[in-house]
Amino acid sequence: MDKVLRQYESTFIVNASLDDGQVDGVIGRVQEVITKGGGTVDALNKWGRKRLSYTINKKTNGFYVNLEFTAPSTLILVLDRAFQLDEMILRYLTIIVNRKALAARAKAAAAAAAAKPPEEAPAVPAREPLFQEGTGDKKP
Amino acid sequence: MLNTRKPRRDKENQIPRKKRTCRFCDAKEVYIDYKDEKRLQRFVTEQGKIIPKRITGTCAKHQRQLVQAIKRARHLALLPFVSDAIR
Repeated sequence: MDKVLRQYESTFIVNASLDDGQVDGVIGRVQEVITKGGGTVDALNKWGRKRLSYTINKKTNGFYVNLEFTAPSTLILVLDRAFQLDEMILRYLTIIVNRKALAARAKAAAAAAAAKPPEEAPAVPAREPLFQEGTGDKKP
Repeated sequence: MLNTRKPRRDKENQIPRKKRTCRFCDAKEVYIDYKDEKRLQRFVTEQGKIIPKRITGTCAKHQRQLVQAIKRARHLALLPFVSDAIR
């Protein structure tokens, strides 16, 4: 039977007292769990070191990592277990990326794509009518 | 002194309140993201409590999404459960 693949998103907090190499090691381990369980990592966003809103395990800072991946649902149990066992991971959250979130992402991507190219293009035509008005030229 | 300052507030004589609209509906927002902590902060009191929709004017549909987003953000320590000042 073909397994249903779903899009997921995991955010986890790595102990910030580790140096960058060690943090990458932790992230690498997580990615390995995902790929071994039949998933693919779509995106990796490191938010970096941030102050926690409240202390977790007596720590006030954490290194935030956000992973987007596609995987069969069986992987999630394995991944949860891996998160729990890793002592360097303070907190984690895995969610299904639902349709609304996907729509929002598509919208944001479209907005970002639309915002870039017109930056140069309309800058010139937008100004021209102003000049015409200033010189008394009416719109034809 | 005559009672000229305060108009009586009967049902007929009520000051029309400004109609609050849902900010997320206005912005045609489809999804409220838990990662957007700056934005979520506006819907939380100084203590860290979620502000009811009757105050913010958020519609029921978006309030539900908002609450979920705030709770997720709290779990990840992006938002406080209880603010520092209170503790």
